[in-house]
Amino acid sequence: MTYSCYITFPTIFYAIRAEEILKSSSYKNKMLPVPRSISSSCGTALNCQCNDINSIKNHLLENNCKIEGCYKLCEEGLNTLSVEELLIDE
Amino acid sequence: MNDSAATGENTNYYFDNAATSWPKPERVYGAAEKQMRSMFGNPGRSGHTRTLEADRLIYKTREAVGRLFNIKDPARIVFTLNATDALNMALKGFLDEGDHVLHTAMDHNSVLRPLSRLTKEKNITSTTIPCSAEGYPSLEKLKSALKKKTRLLVINHASNVTGTIMPLKEMSDLAHAEGAAVLVDAAQTAGTFPIYVERLGIDMMAFTGHKGLLGPTGTGGLYIRPGLDIKPLREGGTGSQSELDTHPEEMPERLEAGTLNSAGLAGLLEGITYIMDTGLENIRKHEQGLHRYMFNRLTEIPKIKLYGPPADHHCACIISITTGQADSGEIGYILENNYSILCRTGLHCAPLAHQAIGSFPAGTIRFSPGPFSTTRDIDYLVNALQDVCAMIR
Repeated sequence: MTYSCYITFPTIFYAIRAEEILKSSSYKNKMLPVPRSISSSCGTALNCQCNDINSIKNHLLENNCKIEGCYKLCEEGLNTLSVEELLIDE
Repeated sequence: MNDSAATGENTNYYFDNAATSWPKPERVYGAAEKQMRSMFGNPGRSGHTRTLEADRLIYKTREAVGRLFNIKDPARIVFTLNATDALNMALKGFLDEGDHVLHTAMDHNSVLRPLSRLTKEKNITSTTIPCSAEGYPSLEKLKSALKKKTRLLVINHASNVTGTIMPLKEMSDLAHAEGAAVLVDAAQTAGTFPIYVERLGIDMMAFTGHKGLLGPTGTGGLYIRPGLDIKPLREGGTGSQSELDTHPEEMPERLEAGTLNSAGLAGLLEGITYIMDTGLENIRKHEQGLHRYMFNRLTEIPKIKLYGPPADHHCACIISITTGQADSGEIGYILENNYSILCRTGLHCAPLAHQAIGSFPAGTIRFSPGPFSTTRDIDYLVNALQDVCAMIR
């Protein structure tokens, strides 16, 4: 089993804004299509390390980037075993 | 202004930048082609790399527009086909049944015609603020025309007939003091004049990409201030919230439906980048110098009547003339066929402006040099006009 984390956005504008903001940071991340198990307004999500998701979320919000949700997926191969929605307003 | 495109083969003397700018900076042509060849994904739709590249390009273009117009939140800028499209979106999305609208006599048909339809279909009323022969509006008349039900003042930042610059701040302040919103048509000033959209409290501003911003046709946009929502003119695919039968509410998608003109916006980004690299102030000074030079040189020809503000006024690089009773269309035809000079003749989609300056219904011959024009081009034009005027009895 592996875990992967995603941040979703209300529009592609904010997904690209997130990518731009994180360019000048050391957080590892990449833009990926939103997994089918997550509901999102925008089809592109930011995939990041689960240890970093809380810091990344705060960094994005501080830089006027709207986010829609934060998720932790438990996966086995190509199967998603569970999805945990993380609170945005922590 | 220097650019390789402007110094290449040029068999025309182009004086029609108020219609569309030409030449474009070389990088504009290249960017549009590059987008189609290698950054071809449909922005906002798929998740593959070509789409993400297109998404990044659109984002950068939106940011560049924001920087140029001093707008903090680029999500408040939506891309449109041109200024006319943006003005339609603003007028039809903002005005409600029975509203009162003010506009000036210098407005373009892109404002007058939508207002005419709204008068019939939404029972709105509109008042035209008269303008002087130089194209300036009467602020006293504006003040007295503002009513309780006035919901919107439309300001054409610069006339496309005379280049007259409207007193944007004074007009905006008067409207805001009476609770009316302000819609600015920046078709003739974007890319040449600094526009501090937020400082002036402009509520909405329409711009086109293919004139002063030096981008391709089919590009433009509308700014809507934060806190103001207008109804979308069109709804449909956005690549987001596909399961819903209603259009997304989040800006900028709220007002953008269907695939954006990525190739055009790639060119627009390079046009704006060229302007920022060259310096907006340098472009404005260059065009102001050309205007003054052209105005003074044209006064050397006795048969020419000039319209609009005098040479020492702050105005867009546009001059309208007539040559006695000669038909303006015929003069334009002779200029192209005998001298390869391209200009625009007639009413320029602004009939009320021609009524204000006294050239209705015959219209004028309009010359609008651009950032790559030179005083030598103007000397050539003046020599040609001297020849043509010698033929007029």
